[in-house]
Amino acid sequence: MTEMHDTLVNFVNVLRTADIKVSPAETLDAMAALDLVGFKDRGFLKNSLSMVLSKTPEEKESFDSCFERFFTFDKFTAYNDERDNGSDDHFDDGDFDQDSNPSNSQGGKGGGEGSGQGGGEPGEEIDFQPLDPESELGKLLLSGNRMELMIKMAEAGRKVEVNQIVVFTQKGLYTRKIMDAMGLKGLQDEVGQLQEDGGRPQTHLAGRLKNARDHLREQVRDYVEKQFFLHADESGKQLREELLKKVKLSNLEKRNFKDVQEIVFKMAKKLVAIHSKRRKTFKRGQLDVRKTLRNNMQYDGMLFDLKWKSQKVDRPKVMCICDVSGSVSNYSRFLLMFLYSLAEILPKVRSFAFSSDLGEVTQLFQQTKLEDAMAKTMRDYGNGSTDYGQMLMDFRSHCLKDVDSKTTIIILGDARNNYGDPKSEILREMYDKAQRVIWLNPEPKSSWTVGDAEMKKYAPCCHQTEVCNSLTHLERVVANLLRVAV
Amino acid sequence: MAIKNEHRLKDVETIKDNFETFDYICSMEIATAVFLAYHLEKPVLIEGPPGVGKTELAKTTADMLDLPCIRLQCYEGLDESKAIYEWKYGKQLLYTQVLKETLGDILDGAKGLTESVAKLHEFGDIFFSEDFLEPRPLLKALKAEESCVLLIDEVDKSDHEFESLLLEMLSDYQLSIPEIGTIKAIPDKKPLVFLTSNNTREISDALKRRCLHLYIPFPDADLETRIVKARVPDIPPRLNQQLVTFIQELREMDLKKVPAISETIDWARALILLHTESLEPELVRQTLNVILKFQEDVETVQAELQGVTNRAVKAS
Repeated sequence: MTEMHDTLVNFVNVLRTADIKVSPAETLDAMAALDLVGFKDRGFLKNSLSMVLSKTPEEKESFDSCFERFFTFDKFTAYNDERDNGSDDHFDDGDFDQDSNPSNSQGGKGGGEGSGQGGGEPGEEIDFQPLDPESELGKLLLSGNRMELMIKMAEAGRKVEVNQIVVFTQKGLYTRKIMDAMGLKGLQDEVGQLQEDGGRPQTHLAGRLKNARDHLREQVRDYVEKQFFLHADESGKQLREELLKKVKLSNLEKRNFKDVQEIVFKMAKKLVAIHSKRRKTFKRGQLDVRKTLRNNMQYDGMLFDLKWKSQKVDRPKVMCICDVSGSVSNYSRFLLMFLYSLAEILPKVRSFAFSSDLGEVTQLFQQTKLEDAMAKTMRDYGNGSTDYGQMLMDFRSHCLKDVDSKTTIIILGDARNNYGDPKSEILREMYDKAQRVIWLNPEPKSSWTVGDAEMKKYAPCCHQTEVCNSLTHLERVVANLLRVAV
Repeated sequence: MAIKNEHRLKDVETIKDNFETFDYICSMEIATAVFLAYHLEKPVLIEGPPGVGKTELAKTTADMLDLPCIRLQCYEGLDESKAIYEWKYGKQLLYTQVLKETLGDILDGAKGLTESVAKLHEFGDIFFSEDFLEPRPLLKALKAEESCVLLIDEVDKSDHEFESLLLEMLSDYQLSIPEIGTIKAIPDKKPLVFLTSNNTREISDALKRRCLHLYIPFPDADLETRIVKARVPDIPPRLNQQLVTFIQELREMDLKKVPAISETIDWARALILLHTESLEPELVRQTLNVILKFQEDVETVQAELQGVTNRAVKAS
């Protein structure tokens, strides 16, 4: 039983790398289900585990593919007795194959292997007494006992810790290691010896051994590849995601944009999940007469436990002013991406782009796809040297009247004003009118006052100034925004 | 667990066969879910598009096991006084009025306030005992002596708070009532719980974790033919096949609401009433409103009606 459970735990690990959330409690449930269902019927087990472990249609889909990959070992013949098979996961798979396609388990590769080995094939004409191989691996290969071979390979795999494989290029290394652990050296020596001896039976045997060895190598490579897909592929992706979250946004290359976008959506989804739940608990408002009367019946109709009609929470009004000149454009891009992914909980986002003149791009982002909208924004506003003073003046004349005490203004930019007039008094005006003014600056704090940077003048007119140059920073800023706003 | 007709849940095949005798044709997954739910004592959360027989599954299970089916229909604003229990306020008031006179006798001879109160204490909280408790569906299900099937329908329509309220019930089969204590299900007679959801909002992870998750998709053509056959026994096999092929193709189209199994069955019944032998475009046009519930869908389908009908007829 414990072996079965070990197998299951391994499987759960694979599921987790494939982005299926499995809690320990669910693992325990799966074990109970496994004890009940057993390994006998593959389809039945798959259905059962799928119900216990995967809880959305998407998860079910990835579960299916994981299950197929994990519980398959189609190269070798069926393995009948699972009780004395040690504790490796893949032995049980043989059992499945027996149930699902008994005729097939020797087909495909297995068939090729059979002819490669030529061991005991009836069609082969032998006019001399064939020799028996001496080395352990040789014996095993020619005995045709695939079950043994399979165990040996899996054991070797475990010994060299093939499940630690991380990158694709390690495949050769692990293949080699497994072959070595299986006793390749003995076999090689024997082949060498036989060829040296030179007699006909010897050369025949040497040829057979070589064929068998080549075939084995192919199988081991396949095995390693499978392990790679099982253990490394997804974790590699996770690793990349973690990295991308921390890297400076301006250093991102175009080919990473897709990944980053995915991450942004993931982060946004998380925030939506957290905050859409929280919203409900903040209620105060109109008296709900009906509910109050009903609830106070227990107090003989004395109304002292008042019930309120849950009131719709005022979502924060966000105005987002983004510098889209060359150096900062990438940051703006992801900030906007983030804000628009949050449409569900932040429906009132207005966005503005500028390098010198300010323009509103809210509509553009709502109506067109993100990439197109971004490209268009860059084209329309991206040229020209940055002029924060002009931007502030434009903002005052167009939008200041819309700013009220519920508005949060986010300004993203490096505050490098090319030695122009910073006009920080306008920012002060905004500061007085708005609920909050947040300045996000992609540059490190130390350079905020160096050269033409005007942060020193702007910072006192902001409620909050933050360094913001990676996805993690962005996430933190947006999460804060929601926390205060909701 | 030991409940009535337990042998009907012996294994998956048996469950499937038994469901069929009750005209509920199910896939292996569904039978597996019921099997696991019973043997692991876990609730089942059923998701899937509307009209694929989620609620029906719970009802049929109750029929099959010959157990009562207690149903809790969820809606926004559902709270514990509707779902778990409520005190019978009226009865409490009435009793206090009636008992006023007796009070004098009880306190007879007591001197001073302290003594009186001490004397009253001897009677305990009679007004907050089970006699004054009005059990609502969840509590009823726990106290069912012969076990029962509890159907919590459309749990996605309820509030988040209510979901949390369910957790205790779902994981431990118990409910806590502050005035009385914890009420547990009778051992071996735990209710078989089904929750259904139409996925109008995401169910919380905490709830999902405590449940088996069953997703019922639209059935494939073969299964659907059998379902129609079971539900509408009079249907000629040829018409049945045409009808199912037609519906299956509709599901591929871009519609606002695709027809579900319940609509297929309704349509089959309608066609039988009209003494139909085989699908014809004109007839389909007239009865289209049985399977499509939006005018724009009807218009979309009408444009391609001829082709789809012909294909369906040819396929049989």
